[in-house]
Amino acid sequence: MATVTNWIEHLSSDEVAGSIYPGAGSSETALVILCAVIWIGWHVLTAKSESDELSRLARKKYGANDHKSNITDW
Amino acid sequence: MTNELEALNTIFTEFYYWVTVVLMFLIHVGFCMYEVGASRYKHHQHTLMKNTMLIPLVTVTWFLFGWWIYWAFPTGPGIAPSIITESTALITGGDYGGNTLANPMTSEFMAINLNDKLMGVFWAAFLLFSWTAASIVSGAIIERITTFAFGVLAIAIGSVFWSIDAAWGWHFDGWMLKILGYHDAYASGVIHAIAGGFALGVLMVLGPRIGKFSSSGEPRNIGPRNPWLVTVGLFLIYTGFWGFYAACNVPIYDLGPEYGMEGVTFWTATNIYLTPTTLSGITMNFLMSLSGGLLAGYVIAKGDPFWTYSSGLAGIICASAGNDLYHPIQAMVIGMIGVVIAYKLHYWVERKFKIDDAVGAVAVHGYAGFVGLVICGFVLNGYPSSGYSVGAMWDGSTYATINPLGQFLGACVMFIVLGLIPGYIIAKVLNGMGKLRIPREVEIAGLDYEMMESAKEDEKAVSSATR
Repeated sequence: MATVTNWIEHLSSDEVAGSIYPGAGSSETALVILCAVIWIGWHVLTAKSESDELSRLARKKYGANDHKSNITDW
Repeated sequence: MTNELEALNTIFTEFYYWVTVVLMFLIHVGFCMYEVGASRYKHHQHTLMKNTMLIPLVTVTWFLFGWWIYWAFPTGPGIAPSIITESTALITGGDYGGNTLANPMTSEFMAINLNDKLMGVFWAAFLLFSWTAASIVSGAIIERITTFAFGVLAIAIGSVFWSIDAAWGWHFDGWMLKILGYHDAYASGVIHAIAGGFALGVLMVLGPRIGKFSSSGEPRNIGPRNPWLVTVGLFLIYTGFWGFYAACNVPIYDLGPEYGMEGVTFWTATNIYLTPTTLSGITMNFLMSLSGGLLAGYVIAKGDPFWTYSSGLAGIICASAGNDLYHPIQAMVIGMIGVVIAYKLHYWVERKFKIDDAVGAVAVHGYAGFVGLVICGFVLNGYPSSGYSVGAMWDGSTYATINPLGQFLGACVMFIVLGLIPGYIIAKVLNGMGKLRIPREVEIAGLDYEMMESAKEDEKAVSSATR
């Protein structure tokens, strides 16, 4: 996985390879796909949990000033 | 880098943009404080979380495709030829100026690279502009939008539409410069007008907060709940705007070879179009337009702090299109004009169309930005929109000069075509899916109700504890 194993050899070569992250040159597409999957998954997960939360709260039909009873310390 | 002077120049530029990113972070902090200060107690925490989650949502999409769009779309596509590729197609290759380097799947520069010091800081500076665009929308729609819908809208404005407008009108190769003579040095249109227009489009579908209008349709004032948060928030936005202005410049560039002038060397700062200006000069204009906005806002809002602070911002926004070239007093007067128009228009639209813009974002960013672009067309009429003016394009045509009609059309592209219309359509779709607005009962109870209730017993115990 290590792209660089010896800094002296790396920096003294005729043409220094710029990319030094693990998996350089072979992993970028997979990383982008992983990022996209995480990103879409996050949206699906949070959209569902927000919908559930809003529906639950809507069913309780609290009044406009009810929240004040939850404030115990000004 | 083996040459010390070249290394110094490059690392100075890298550090310069890095500092602008840090400063611009304050814009976001300011927006968060401002919105929480403007919202009511029962919505505070959701308001804050909504704006906070904009950071990762826009950042990830900006990495995946927003930055790529900026470099790919200067030609339209199909509207005007690129001076890089001599084609009207999408720009999908080449060095800086081509978008291969902005593709995270194929570009070795979209990560730490020992041979490149600039891609990451450019990317980040533009990303912070994206956050700003999305934050502008965020303020207008507080207390009644779902976090999911806001996330979708934030990505749309922050990683797609502003990116397209920047490619078109905020790029040395953009078609709007070539055909319209569009000039918008510090983003009156490409950030502010588009975000204001987008917010207006969303508001048209979203509707007002419960209680905003009386049964006879008269608007009621829902003032800021925490004036100190609003004050500090807006002052932080002012502070972040220093970084915004600096990030719109290239700090050091030799325009002689860039313009093909043989034997000429001219090192200077430039604006985003690579035409010359100075950081020193724009600093004067920034402060004078801020002052013009504050002066006019104080008078027209009769000393109301909320509007006076916002007017300072509107003054800067209005003068921003031409602040690379204006005289400081021109910048001040333009800022004043923009504030008066934006303020009057805000209340007229509110009354006439029942639009509830909770923080005046459409006015401060949208109307002031639009007006600033139009004024710029008159004041800078005849200036070249680019340094690459003569015979630079493959068909021998030249860049248009700055002119009133081009700026007006450019303002319409920003505010209406890429702002209002997409905002309206996306909000309509979200509304059709039942995902745009929170249920009425929740809006009345408060978005934070459950969060507050679940902690009530602990809070009670703590507040009455004696040991």
